[in-house]
This record gives sequence, structure tokens and C-alpha cells, in this order.
Amino acid sequence: MANWVPLWLHRLGSPPTFYRFAGSVYPWALGLAILLGGVALYGGLFVAPADYQQGDAYRIIFIHVPSAWMSLFIYGVMTLAAFIGLVWRIKLAETVAMESAPVGAAFTAITLATGSLWGKPMWGTWWTWDARLTSELVLLFIYLGIVGLYHAFEDRRQGARAACFLVLVGAVNVPIVHFSVNWWNTLHQGATIRLLGPSHIAASMVWPLLTMMAATKLYYIASLFARVRADLIASEGGKAWVRDLALGPAGGGKA
Amino acid sequence: MTPGSTPAACAALLRRDLTLAWRRRGDIAMPVLYAVIVVTLFPFALGPDAALLERIAGGVVFVTVLLAMLLSLDGLFRPDIDDGSMEQLMLAPQPLALLVGMKILAHWLTAALPLIVIAPVLAGMLHLPGPPMAVLVLALGLSTPLLSLLGAVLVALTAGTKRSGMLLALMLLPLCVPVVIFAAGAVAAAQDGLPWIAPIAWLGAGLVLSVVLAPLACAAALRIAMES
Repeated sequence: MANWVPLWLHRLGSPPTFYRFAGSVYPWALGLAILLGGVALYGGLFVAPADYQQGDAYRIIFIHVPSAWMSLFIYGVMTLAAFIGLVWRIKLAETVAMESAPVGAAFTAITLATGSLWGKPMWGTWWTWDARLTSELVLLFIYLGIVGLYHAFEDRRQGARAACFLVLVGAVNVPIVHFSVNWWNTLHQGATIRLLGPSHIAASMVWPLLTMMAATKLYYIASLFARVRADLIASEGGKAWVRDLALGPAGGGKA
Repeated sequence: MTPGSTPAACAALLRRDLTLAWRRRGDIAMPVLYAVIVVTLFPFALGPDAALLERIAGGVVFVTVLLAMLLSLDGLFRPDIDDGSMEQLMLAPQPLALLVGMKILAHWLTAALPLIVIAPVLAGMLHLPGPPMAVLVLALGLSTPLLSLLGAVLVALTAGTKRSGMLLALMLLPLCVPVVIFAAGAVAAAQDGLPWIAPIAWLGAGLVLSVVLAPLACAAALRIAMES
């Protein structure tokens, strides 16, 4: 019967079950991420042809664009998790939202740094006050504000709830970042990869890009699961399952 | 108005907040003094070139007003939380969002209105000519309530923490970027003789949206902050 799917999802919401699940997924996700990342880098740096207009400098796209996708994707995951955490008061959802924020901030910083490195040879400037760049910078500030608010509270749970609320308020920026190149015609180029309709990029350049996208997603999963595991151990320190974990199932009484 | 009804409670709360502000008149003058001093610093830092100052006048006034409001926001809920009246507001039978909205209105009247009054003087110090000045006052009239409402939500979120000054700036300023872009954009358009109604309309739309949503969000955030 299909009953085991909701049952399994419900069980996954409990910290000890999620701790074990994340622990078994983590090495696979990290290994696959490194493998796919290596393949994508090889494909992007050696196999794909040089661009007719930008020469070899365009190859930073294989880092820049997947990071930019991740900076928005992670915010989307955070928004969903924060909503679930606030409405149904699921502690695990709050933890997922809060532990996603530093990873998202890192991807946003990578996007800004590589974009700046790419902008110097192409546009002749490290930085310009273009709509895409500015909204991505604002996204970084929002990520940092969320992390700051989370750590400002004495009580973890209360900090997580307040910061989850800020995640929902800050979500207005995500569509602005996504559509900024369509709404304002400034220096940044428009979207090249399309979900619907033909992409404006050669197939030999697309496959390393998509492979890198898969690698960054897997890296996010690995990083998130490792962080959530650490957070669960820290916040559930007084619970029996953590004591069993540290001292072995039977040896709890003697220590 | 019958005592205990929702309009009476709102009027009483507004009257109380305004009376409290009036008893401490010196505090109302603080944001104004701060704005005057910050604006005065720009000609010192950039040199007294009238053309340059006129060019940047609109932006400088908006950023200064934003910073002055940021300083005053911390006092929006903190005294009430410290002396326990916030708990009473939460227990009151009237909707918390409405009562919080009254507090935001009182804050706007005491902290933002003096800034709007002083803004033409500040812009005049930076050589902004007459016609864009009217647009500046109009844009301030629409953007300062927007900043009050947006700021109140974030202040409510930090209400449960001990230290919130810098954190509030980190959270509020990114969210204020669109407001500053549209408000200063309207003044810049007026200076160039271009139509300036579109950014003003955007500010108005944002204000309508936040008048509806921000008090609700603010009430929810206060309930989170006061939970423990």
C-alpha cells in the first residue's frame, strides 16, 4: 500500500530518525557532489569549446551560474521550511531553514565574487549598480540578517521562530532577483537557459552546466544534513537518544 | 464612542502614546537634530560645489531620513515591553493588529512628521530648487509611513533580544532598498524635468499593501517575541 510514504515522512520529522537518515545520506551526497563537480569542471574547462565572443573567460559561467541558481533555490527551500515550521511548529523544519541560511549566504557570496571576476574582462568593471547585481547583494544582506537574528536570541527555539518570520518577509526579494534582467534592461545579460522553449546556448556548453547544477544541489544536501545533525546534537543534548548515541545504548546508567 | 469598544480603545491608545511623547518633548527633537547634523556633514565631506550638492540632494535627504527613523524605531515597543503594558495589549479583547497599528501611527506622527517638516530646509541647504522640493515632500509623505510599518515588523521580531541596534539596521536596510530607489528616483526625475508620477504611484501601492499587511505581521512577530 502507499501508506508507508506519509508514515515515513512523519517519522522523518522526529530528530533521532532524521539524525540517522541524514547520517546515511550525507556521505553519498557529498561523494556524488565531488564526483559530478569534477566531471562538470573537466567538461567546462577542457571539453567545451571557447566562446566566439568571450574567448576562454566565459568558462567562469560553470561556477557562477550554478551558484546563482543555488542562491535563489536555497532561499526557496528556506521559505518553504520556515512556513512549515511557523504554521505546524515542526522543530526540524525550523532547523532546516536556519541551517540553510549560511550555505545560501556562501553561494550568494560566490556568485557575487565570480560575477565580479567575470565582469572585469567583459564589462571593464568589477562592480556596477545594475539591477541583477544590486538585488543579489541585497539577497546576501538578507541572508546575513537572518543568521544574525537567529543568533541574537538566548533561546534557540525563539530565535529560530523570529528568524523564520524574517525569512518569509525577505522572500519578496527572490522574484525581484529572478526577474530583474527581464524587468530592467541593464548591463547584465538576460536568461540563457530556458525551461520552456529553446536555450540560447550551445549543447556542448549546456551539459557541464547542468552537471554542475546537480553537483551544487547535492553539495547543498550534504552540507545541510551535516549542519542539521550538528544542530540536533547541540539542541537535543539533554534527550535520551543523544545520551544513548554518546555512551552506547546500554551504558547510559554508569556514566 | 462607548467605552471598551474597539474605536474607543484605539483612540485611547493613540492619545496615551501621543501624551507620553509630548511629556518627553526633547526626544522628538532628537531625530530632527540628527538629520540636520548628518546633512550638514555632506558639504563638508564633498566640498561646497553647488551643482554637485543639488545633484545628490534628494538621495542624501532620503538616506538621512531613513537613518534617523532607524534610530527612533528601537523605542517603538521596548518601553511597553519593559513596563508590562505590551502583555496587557495582547490580552485585550480588541485585535492586536489594530492596536499595534495605532502605536505605529503614533510613532509616525512623533518621529517621521517632524522630519518631513524639516526636509525642505535640509534640501534647501543642498540647493535643491523649488519644484522638485514639492515632489520630495510628497515622496517623503508616502515613504516614511512605509518605513515606519516595515520597521515596526522588524522591531517586533527583535523585541525578544537584549541587543538589537545594529541587528535592526542589518535587517531593515536591505528591505528598504526599493523604497529609497523609488522615492529618490521620483525627485531625480523631477529635477531632470521628466514625469515623476510612476515612482510615486509605486510608493503609494507599496504603502497601501503594507498598511494592510504590516500590522498583522507585526502582531504575529510580537507574539513570537513575547512567547517565552
